[in-house]
This record gives sequence, C-alpha cells and structure tokens, in this order.
Amino acid sequence: MPLSARVRIGLSVLILAHLFAVVLPPLSFQTAGSLGQSPAVATLLRPVEPYTQFLYIDRGYAFFAPDPGPSHLVQAAITDGSGETIEVTFPDREKQWPRLLYHRYFMLTEFLDEIYFPPGPPPELAEIDQAEAELWERQRSRYEHVRQSYIEHLKHVNPGKDVAIGRRERLIPGILEFQREPIALNDPRLLRIIPDVPVLLDGDETLTAPPETIPPPVGAAMEPAGTTMKRGTVADVEKEKKNTQEDFGPESDTPSQESTESEIGTPNDSKSKPEVAEEAEAEVAVP
Amino acid sequence: MNLPASATSVRSFVSGYVQAWDWFWFTPRMPHTLGVLRVIAGVMLLYSHLVLASDLSSFLGDSAWMSNEAARQLHDGAFGFSDFGRSYLWHLSNPLLLWLHHGVTILVTASFAVGFMTRITAPAAWFLQLMYLHRMTGTLFGFDQIVTYTTMYLMLAPSGSCFSVDAWLRERWAARRADSRRLQFLLPEATPSVAANIATRLLQLHLCTIYLFGGLAKARGELWWDGTATWFSIGNYEYQSMDMTWLANYPRLFSAMTHATLFWEIFYCALIWPRRSRPIALALAFAVHGGIAAFLGMITFGLMMIGANLIFIRPEQMLRLISRGKTIEGQSDALGDSSVTSTGAGDSVEVHDEGDAQDHEEEFDDDFSLDDLGIEELEPDSNASDILKRADSDAPDSEVLQDQSEREAALARREDRLRKASKRLREKKEQLNANLEKYSERVERLKKREAKIKKLVDRKRKKK
Repeated sequence: MPLSARVRIGLSVLILAHLFAVVLPPLSFQTAGSLGQSPAVATLLRPVEPYTQFLYIDRGYAFFAPDPGPSHLVQAAITDGSGETIEVTFPDREKQWPRLLYHRYFMLTEFLDEIYFPPGPPPELAEIDQAEAELWERQRSRYEHVRQSYIEHLKHVNPGKDVAIGRRERLIPGILEFQREPIALNDPRLLRIIPDVPVLLDGDETLTAPPETIPPPVGAAMEPAGTTMKRGTVADVEKEKKNTQEDFGPESDTPSQESTESEIGTPNDSKSKPEVAEEAEAEVAVP
Repeated sequence: MNLPASATSVRSFVSGYVQAWDWFWFTPRMPHTLGVLRVIAGVMLLYSHLVLASDLSSFLGDSAWMSNEAARQLHDGAFGFSDFGRSYLWHLSNPLLLWLHHGVTILVTASFAVGFMTRITAPAAWFLQLMYLHRMTGTLFGFDQIVTYTTMYLMLAPSGSCFSVDAWLRERWAARRADSRRLQFLLPEATPSVAANIATRLLQLHLCTIYLFGGLAKARGELWWDGTATWFSIGNYEYQSMDMTWLANYPRLFSAMTHATLFWEIFYCALIWPRRSRPIALALAFAVHGGIAAFLGMITFGLMMIGANLIFIRPEQMLRLISRGKTIEGQSDALGDSSVTSTGAGDSVEVHDEGDAQDHEEEFDDDFSLDDLGIEELEPDSNASDILKRADSDAPDSEVLQDQSEREAALARREDRLRKASKRLREKKEQLNANLEKYSERVERLKKREAKIKKLVDRKRKKK
C-alpha cells in the first residue's frame, strides 16, 4: 500500500533529523580548533546532542588519524608481602586471547593515555583564569579516578598484594632508520616510560623531537624479532618510581593531588599537555 | 519578463527534487541484502558477547578494570562532562545478576543472528548492545561502532523476513498466520517494502559519513600525505598480527597504498553511487578492510566493515549471487549473463542474451518475468527464483537518477528484447505445428498401408 503524503512528510522530517545527528558529531570534531568548537556547528549540534550520545553516534571516525602513532601500554608492578615484585604489561597478546579480547585490553591502556592530564593546576593559573584551573582539576581528577580503578582491579585479582601502575609508550621506528638498520618492533629500546610529572617551565630544553620517531639504534646488539622485554626494566621502573613519585598511581583509595608546588612556575599553555609527553623523550628506558 | 513561465520552471525544478527525494527514500525495496547483513551483524555481535563472557568480571561489575563507579562518573558529570550515554549496567554489581543478564543478552543476540522473532529480538539486541557500550567506556573501538549502527538500521526493516527461522515459521504456520495480524507482524513476508529501503539508505549514508570524515581526519595529518602512514600502521607492534615490515623495502608500494587509502576514503561517498565506479569503490573497501583484518589484528572490525559495504549490493544482485550455484546451467550471472529456460520440449530458448554493459544499471529491470511468456523454469522449487520472479514486478531500483529519455530507452530495449523472444517462440511453435502435421500425415499413410497389407494377407488366406 503506497504511503500517504502526510506519512511521507513525517518520515522525511525524521530522516532529515537523524541525518543531521549522524553528520554533525564528526563535523564538530573536524571543525574544533584552538578556540574550541566552531560556533555554527556547536549551535546546530546542541539540540541533537543527547540523541547522538545515547545512540553512540557522537563519534569522530578518525581511525589511524590524523597520523598513526605509537601505542600506549600499562605496566603494573605487583609486590607481595615478602617484597618480591613481578611486572606485568597490558595488553599482552600471549595472555589475552582471542584477538578481540586482547583489543579490549589494548583500548583500556590507550584510554588511560587519552584522558591523561598532568598534575596541577599551578597556583598561578587560578589567579589568571579560575575556570581554566577548575577544568584542569576536573580533567586530572578524571585521569586519577580511572587509574585508581585499574589499580583496584589488579588488587582484586592479586589479593594481598601491592599494585602500582605506570604508562608506557612503544615507539615505531622511522622508515629510514628501519631501512638502514632493521629492528624488532618489540625491541625494548622502543619502549619508553611516560612519567607523570607537572608541566615544564618556559624554554625547557627537553622539548625535543616528536614521539613518532627515534634516533637510529647505535651501540648494543639488537634483539632478534620476538624477544620480550628484558628484566632490567623492572629496576628501571623502581628507579623511575623513586625519582618521580608521580609515575605510579597512588595505592590509597583517595586520588592524590600530586605535589606540584616545587616543580611549577608558569605553564607555557595551560590547555595542553604536550610538554609532558615530549619531556618523556629524555627518559627512554634503555636496558 | 515572462513571470508565469519562470514560475512554472521553478515549480518543475522543485518538483523534480521532491520526486527524486520521494524515489530515493520511498521506493519499496526487497529485504534480502538486509537479511544477509542481519546474519553477518548478528554473528559478529554474538561473537563479541561470547568473547566478553570469557572475561566478564574484568569488564563488568564493581571490580572491573573500569569499575561501575568510574564508568558512571565518566558520563554523569562528576568530572564536568555529562552526557546521555547512560546504562543501567552501572548499577549492576552482583556477579550472578551480571551473568544472568549476559546469558539473556547472548540468547537474544543469537536469536537475532538466526532471525528468530526478529521484530522483537533485533531492537532488543540493539538496546542491550547500547547498554554494554555505555558501560564499557574505554574498551571500545571501531568494531563496536559499525556493528551497533548496522544493528540499529536492521531493526527498522523486516530484516528477519528471509534467510531466517522466521521465514521457515512463516511457511510452516501459513494457515494460522493468515488469520492472525500479530503473526503477520512477527513473521513478515519477504516482499518489497519502504521500511527496507529507508533502512538501506540510512546505512548507506551513514557509511558515506564515516568514510568521508575518516578521510578528512587523515588528510589533516602529515604521514598520509608523505606516504609513510601505511608504514607507521604496520610498524605498530600492538596492532600487528602478521609481520609486514618487509614492506619497508618497497617504499613505492607502501606509499601508493597510503595515497590510495586516503583518496578512496575521502571520495568513497561519491564513487559508491554511480554504477560504473561502484565496483571500484567496493573492491578497494574489501582490500583495505581485508588488509586491516589480516595484518592489523582487527579481524572483527575488518570483516564487519566489509559486511556493512554489502549494503550497496542491490537485493536482486544479492539473490542472484546466492542462487548462482542453483541455476540450471550454473552460469547465471548477476550482471547480464544469459538466462536459459526450457520450453518443456527438451530444447532451450535463450530469453536474455544482452551482454551490453550499458544495461547493468537496469539489470534487473531488463529481466522479464518468465511467466509473461508462459515458460516454465526447470527448477520451480527454488525459493530464490520465486523471489526473483516477484522482484520482476518490483519498481525500478537503480541507484542513480535517470532522466526520462534514459528510462524510455531502457523500456524500448526491453520491448525489443521481448519482441525478439516472442518472435522466436512463434517460429518455434509454427515449426512444431508443421512437424505435427507432417507426422499426422505419415501416421495416416502408415495406417492405410497397414490396412492394404491386411487385406492382401486376408485374400491370400482365402485362396488357400
């Protein structure tokens, strides 16, 4: 039976509304800049935002974009009563099977990195921009709560043991370096610790190369493909823990506001975190 | 200035758009592509829930990686960001209840996959999946998006009317169904419907949006332009499922792959509609997503994206692909091969022998119903062929706008083909009639000869 004109008009309105809801979220991702969302797109998006959020269509679809980058892992140090520590890295394709399960773990560790926000805010920021300082606090708090949730889970599956976790980044060798001297993709030299430290002062000289590339490997003989990380990194982890108290998450239930007073002067840019990520370049874990 | 004339032309301009919109959204469509997609999405969704069951407590409950509280706080404004991605699973912490809930979810999803009570299980499977998505924040990726969107659109259409338990029940309970409106709703006929068309169009456009913005996001990067993005994808140890680092020795190859991916993704939304470029867009989709599935460890995502791309295959083509092996000659191709039928006298009549690529767009429109000529198929039991016959009476379902002259030309070609087939049949009939006459005369002659011989024999017996 053919649809009446009235039904067609009604359906057309619903279809158009849904298509708006499909197109506007990725458009808002692409039109967002340093000033925030495009005002025009934000205005259009606002009425359909609850609908997009509930239907889970509020996505940007930026797969491997804008550039494919390094992956982010979580390393956990699990210490029993006798002080013996074992180190576990997530995700681990040997332990998480099938691949879909492994990928869920991988996304968990990527998520922790995605929501990372450095300790803070510096006291000066609150004086300059109170709203920005509050936003900083909330974002930091979100990261700490999620990190604490991961720690609690690991404590639950390792009863009676202490757990500390830290973020790691596995770099991808640049094409020229790899052509010159092939290296196993899981070589420990490609794994670096990402410390959880406050933002740096202006003009800090550790702001160096982008994280996607590493210098060509020199010196020590390379590990064949398929080797796992050397045990030496546990010591590195411990050393790192002592040096930067903030790297591993707090083991108490209350997420801490890390000590930042002694570290911070005036942040370069209170909205971003690149300084921390790039500072970690200087702390690549070399076994 | 001729005002009435310009008003008329504006009216006809607007009316053209209205007609095109009407045709695009409200032309009834067969549900068979959606039926195939339901099986794919259902199996994928079921697999996802089964994998989750293998480690349920790590992802649901109070002691999961992302605890109930943490998951809730990510959505309820505790950190300043509030949204409507709500889930009752935030409040479910009892392990027994979680297992019961997951068991029900698996049952519902399995029912959706096999097409059992699909009118109910499709929306139920979609809703349950949404609840899991909003609970499992932080563990999701592209696979979860595409499988959820596909399920969402499938529930709008009678996707369980074919390739399903529902279709089997419909046949079995035909008598009871005839008198029950509830059963007619639950077990719909696999006939053309506007709902199937709207669901198809929505998924098609959603897919175009995903590729367009995926491509635009890539275009903002540097590595997709300098050609090394493919290297940085296959060089990621966590994604790697097969060592492809040998590609480093072939920079022309991986940079070509990078450029092709970028341009294909951006222009997919344009290339997928015209009938000539559609096979190219689909072939590239299969190649890119097949590569992701095989080499980048995302088997489920790659397969589901390939499955979603099938939405651009028209139901008639899908049916032909499925019934390909069942046809008489086993050679009936979806794109204009000959269809061979029998006259019942042991010899074949070729009724459709047009290899002209020009006709692909109307490939199903150009077919005519065998019933029109009173010809019987050799395999009348084939379910697919029944549906094909029904589809013949379906409205034209071309994917691009045609103008009137094109339609007339298509009709003229069709008429010409019908005339030729009709002429061939007439000639055959005349030939058979002539043969019949000849054989009748011969039988008469033989009878007379037999009578003469009989008389002769009788005469000789009397003389003796």
